[in-house]
Amino acid sequence: MPSLVLPTAYFSTKLSHRHHSTIPSATHSRRPHLAGDPPRTVVITSGKGGVGKTTATANLSASLARLGFRVTSIDADAGLRNLDLLLGLENRIHYTASEVFSGECRLDQALVRDRRFNNLRLLCLSKPRSKLPLSFGSKTITYLVDALKTLEPLNPVQFILIDCPAGVDAGFVTAIAPADEAILVTTPDITALRDADRVAGLLECDGIKDIKIIVNRVRADLVRGEDMMSPLDVQEMLGLPLLGAIPEDAEVIRSTNRGSPLVLNDPPAPAGIAFEQAAWRLVEGDTMTAVALEEADRPAKKGFGWFSFFGL
Amino acid sequence: MASIPTALPTKIGEASIWKSRHVWLGSQNLAWNCRRLRWHFVIRSSNGNSSDSSKNPLVPVEKNLRESCQGSFGSLKATVHVLLPVVTSVRTRFCSKFAMMVYVTFAIFIIIARKIMLKRENHVNQGSIADLVRRGQLKSNRRGIAKTSLYDNPFNNAFVKIDEENSTAQMFGKVYRLAPTTLTKEQQLTHQERRAQAYQWKRPKVFLKEGDPIPPDVDPDLVRWIPPNHPFASTSSDINEESFKNNVYQKDGVPFRVRAEHEALQKKLEALQDEPKIKELAVNLKNPEEFEEPKLQQIELNETKKADEKIDKGLKSSNEKS
Ligand SMILES: Nc1ncnc2c1ncn2[C@@H]1O[C@H](COP(=O)(O)OP(=O)(O)O)[C@@H](O)[C@H]1O
Ligand SMILES: [Mg+2]
Repeated sequence: MPSLVLPTAYFSTKLSHRHHSTIPSATHSRRPHLAGDPPRTVVITSGKGGVGKTTATANLSASLARLGFRVTSIDADAGLRNLDLLLGLENRIHYTASEVFSGECRLDQALVRDRRFNNLRLLCLSKPRSKLPLSFGSKTITYLVDALKTLEPLNPVQFILIDCPAGVDAGFVTAIAPADEAILVTTPDITALRDADRVAGLLECDGIKDIKIIVNRVRADLVRGEDMMSPLDVQEMLGLPLLGAIPEDAEVIRSTNRGSPLVLNDPPAPAGIAFEQAAWRLVEGDTMTAVALEEADRPAKKGFGWFSFFGL
Repeated sequence: MASIPTALPTKIGEASIWKSRHVWLGSQNLAWNCRRLRWHFVIRSSNGNSSDSSKNPLVPVEKNLRESCQGSFGSLKATVHVLLPVVTSVRTRFCSKFAMMVYVTFAIFIIIARKIMLKRENHVNQGSIADLVRRGQLKSNRRGIAKTSLYDNPFNNAFVKIDEENSTAQMFGKVYRLAPTTLTKEQQLTHQERRAQAYQWKRPKVFLKEGDPIPPDVDPDLVRWIPPNHPFASTSSDINEESFKNNVYQKDGVPFRVRAEHEALQKKLEALQDEPKIKELAVNLKNPEEFEEPKLQQIELNETKKADEKIDKGLKSSNEKS
């Protein structure tokens, strides 16, 4: 099982928090309490491409749905849509929001229901080879999200997660328009961080002050060797609270192939657990109070010196 | 193969080894060893050193190899010798070939079953290309739902244990040190102010095609210009804002365009009512249930669309005829 021998597992944990001080058996069945007023509209953005926005959206969506919340995920990356692939729903998309706008179908028909969790829906903005009509500016998506919130009055949606496209182009402007809070995904490298800072600035200018960061693809061995910034360094540079720190994990690509978000892996993978912890914090409106670091100077056990000499 | 005896006729082609190889072919290990040996000599003979084997520095190595080969072979022989009495004793005790056969078959069956089970298990968790095939991304259309884990507390489970007193966390069998975060509210605000000064931005509210005039009631600062060749966005639209809103907020009934198309079709049909062939079709289409159903399913919608297309075609051909 490769996930268990990964030497680079790097974890986000919380120090003094109420829910893991209780008896284990009780905490196993515990669910987080929803903070804030539902429906909560969260945009997952980054500035730089390929840092893991879509991966984060898919995993947070699946986590929240498994926790029992009614979730609708919007793939607002009209140009390079692939949230459907990560959720394994690509063969079931018949209609998208574009068809809703033009009156070819109703909004409820464009929502793709997940077979694993019937409280999880996916909405794509447009078909891959067609253009998204933005003639009404950002109203295009604010109307859409507003309609989603009132679609089922008896079972109102609790989380609307928006997977934002990379860059700060029209797609970004559209995706952030309906959001109340933002998750800024970044990798611990200077290029991604500069973009993240810029995007945080734009979000704040737009009045979205509730921004939390997910540091993705962290390698504990590199952090330990001072070759990579730690999530604490990232936090210091951006001055934003941490929602999660996700280790680099080969299981991410396998789960993409499977079309099943990593958090649903059985047995769990390190990155999956880290995403699930982030989802839990998102629900409770919480942030990380401590970051798990690999021991810098682990006391060498007697008699094992030779093994470490040979790199064992 | 022929080069083997010529290379080292006596040393390698030693009768005992070759004979034994034929006799004991069942032992894969041994056969492999010997094959490696042979391979070696073929290379050597091509070097042109074959005639002078006694001076060749490689010979001792080969000898060693041969000895090791013989050694493993010898140990195998010894094992067989040890086993033989056991087998005979078993034979004498049960006195039944049949029972032996049953045991052997059973053992083979168990091995095969286990192999199959392992393969299946592997397949479920692999996330390999096979899964892409399964998902219809690469040829083939077979689809399935992956096995999913049940919910578990991510802060306290079989893989993650957090020890608050010692500020350590044990995760996936490794112990980590917990370093507390230090970000304060004041620091957060300083960063916000820094960004507010660095990036002064107003989110565009209106998207216009490049070159279009700005409408009088629009703030030029809030315009986002979309080039006409934008890869995935367009500003052209054939509906007004009111019907756009209606479309988005519509909860039941027939979608706007489907209804419009249907009505247009019906008008066409009414105009052509005199023709007997079309009459039948019109009767079918007028069936009100199909369209007044509050929750039209997608498949049904598709079907009605197809039907519409068919009728359209029928109309065209009848038009051409008349
Ligand atoms: N924690 C991780 N470990 C390893 N690979 C990752 C991780 N997160 C993301 N990836 C990989 O990075 C690539 C880009 O991820 P994606 O979520 O599509 O980024 P974005 O949506 O920001 O463009 C994908 O191939 C994904 O498999
Ligand atoms: Mg993406």
